[in-house]
Amino acid sequence: MTAVTVVFAAMGLVALVSAFLVVTSDQIIHAALWLVVTLGAVAGLYVLLAAELVAWVQVLIYMGSVVVLLLFALMLTRTPTGPGSATVTRNQPLATVVAGATTVALGAVMWAGFGGEVIDEDEVRVGTAARLGDAIFRTWVLPFEVLSVVLLAALVGAIVLTRRGER
Amino acid sequence: MSAVSVQAIVGAAPSPIEAPDVDYATISPLLIILGAAVLGVLVEAFVPRAYRFVTQIAVAVVGVVAAFVATVVVGAGLDTVDGEVTGRGGPTAMGSLSVDGPAVVTWAMLLFFGLLGVLLFAERRLDGGLSAFTSQASTPPGSADERHATRLRIEHSEVFPLAMFALGGMMFFASANDLLGMFVALEVLSLPLYLMCGLARRRRLLSQEAAMKYFLLGAFSSAFFLYGIAMVYGYAGSFGLAEISTAVSSQIGGQNLLLAGMALILVGLLFKVAAVPFHAWTPDVYQGAPTPVTAFMAAGTKAAAFVAMLRIFFVAFGGARWDWAPAVWAIAIITMLFGAIASIAQTDVKRMLAYSSIAHAGFLLVGMAGLTSGDGVTSVSAVLFYLVAYGAAAIGAFAVVTLVRDAGGETTHLGRWAGLGKESPVLAVAFTIFLLSFAGIPLTGGFISKWSVFAAAWDGGAWPLVVVGVVASALALFFYIRVVVLLFFAPPQGDGPTVAVPSPLTWSVVAITVAVTIVLGVLPGPLLDLVQQAGAFVR
Repeated sequence: MTAVTVVFAAMGLVALVSAFLVVTSDQIIHAALWLVVTLGAVAGLYVLLAAELVAWVQVLIYMGSVVVLLLFALMLTRTPTGPGSATVTRNQPLATVVAGATTVALGAVMWAGFGGEVIDEDEVRVGTAARLGDAIFRTWVLPFEVLSVVLLAALVGAIVLTRRGER
Repeated sequence: MSAVSVQAIVGAAPSPIEAPDVDYATISPLLIILGAAVLGVLVEAFVPRAYRFVTQIAVAVVGVVAAFVATVVVGAGLDTVDGEVTGRGGPTAMGSLSVDGPAVVTWAMLLFFGLLGVLLFAERRLDGGLSAFTSQASTPPGSADERHATRLRIEHSEVFPLAMFALGGMMFFASANDLLGMFVALEVLSLPLYLMCGLARRRRLLSQEAAMKYFLLGAFSSAFFLYGIAMVYGYAGSFGLAEISTAVSSQIGGQNLLLAGMALILVGLLFKVAAVPFHAWTPDVYQGAPTPVTAFMAAGTKAAAFVAMLRIFFVAFGGARWDWAPAVWAIAIITMLFGAIASIAQTDVKRMLAYSSIAHAGFLLVGMAGLTSGDGVTSVSAVLFYLVAYGAAAIGAFAVVTLVRDAGGETTHLGRWAGLGKESPVLAVAFTIFLLSFAGIPLTGGFISKWSVFAAAWDGGAWPLVVVGVVASALALFFYIRVVVLLFFAPPQGDGPTVAVPSPLTWSVVAITVAVTIVLGVLPGPLLDLVQQAGAFVR
């Protein structure tokens, strides 16, 4: 067992425990803050998997903007934020079953698809910005560009559904 | 960070950036449509309100026509590929798109539907000079704000760019050459449609309910599709249809993974084409959505999703045909029978057309179960022909629905349509032609298309499907004839239906679709030649 494996396991444990706290926390703000820990631990896993750009994007976008956006939404919508604000619905057992089944199925896919793979540490290709850029802007350039169309359509749609006034 | 990766970073030399290899001329139809959509968004931002609606119509129509011309040029220039089966064209844009014969024919078909859809969207003479879309979606239905917005004649001209986005997504969906691109395309085509479904001017709560249902169930089915893609990636180690095909025929990896992946992808696609048992959204959404949107959606989504389904299952999963064919058989049978029987019980014209659309999904699945290659009518060409004929008749039928009105807007209750033959013989005859085409009566496009899917299925050894298909057609015929009798011979209820006088826009849609339906029935030769020359999918 190498040092990398130990750190990887520790990070994974942190991610799991904090994710559990996200869904069991009594206060909605606490849940959002635990999410920061989860996402940070996942970013650490990305670093260990030699996907450094993805790790930094995870830190910037998910830990940075997405959680901040969540907190802003909570602040701006007058949602109760005190104790008991994150009360669960009666559907929690059902959600647990669905989440459990999804985890098992996804795990099975990973196991079946990549179970026997051994990564040679000397051959590791680091996921630098150059490599990722190469993949996104060469191989996947068309899906990537079309994906921006989804975002534009969603923006237009959000404006259509919410805009008031007489412009 | 481990020592290895640090070393790798330090050791990495900067490499020159290589531009992706994209043949812009070949994908120009797609680029023109998406360009028209973006231009529409800019028009929304900068053109004053008084001119905005007209400008949007102009941008959309010019965009669609230009893309159609580009499609014809691209189609004429496709190279013939000789292999086991003849095909034309091939992958482009770094392998993301396969611009082959079926793709180009589908593009042309979708652009034709798109043009008809835009003409219906643009109709403003039916409802006191306002379009079929709500004045302001954010105002509560029935509120003073809503009346105020209507009085100011505010309009949602954003529907035109949204329709262009959806059209671009459909075109991408029908020609995507890897599963990742297909998923992106599915989202591009779905999202604008969810939105447009909720924008009806009349019966807004019904419309919003339809949008909500469509969105939730659509998101659910997208998740199925995505999950299937994940499984297939786990099996084949690639998103590319060609690589998956190689993996399937060499049978690497666990077969269970492949079976589960295929099943989930099939569920996601069957939802989009409205096949039983994934049809539950169809009647509600078709009924609630603004009728021009229903027309565009019924024709366009079905065409794009069917071509995508054929592409995935013939190209990527062709080697596992005996694993997926039984499922397609079973679903084709229940879809045909259920669609035919359920439509008999309908009292609402839009719901009736929705169930008819479900039944037609069943007939198209019969075509899918047919012959993949050979001299006769192949599955691909039969399905392409069917999609053109069905789409034209469906758009025409929904265009007629927009014209039969009373004080509350469109009157869709079937009983109120009694005596339409006396009120407006031309419209009643047009609607009858569409119904006869749906039923598959000779001299309409519906007959030739049913014949071609049945011929493909028969040649492919799927004769039980053909038998069930003929029975289901007979059942449906009974119902369609009943509606025709109602239109011409039943005594009208009260004052009878009133027919609004539309602008030339809707008239031309009805006229074009009637003409297409009859020409495809009387002179199917040119289109049949075209779809047969389109050949097989090229990966």
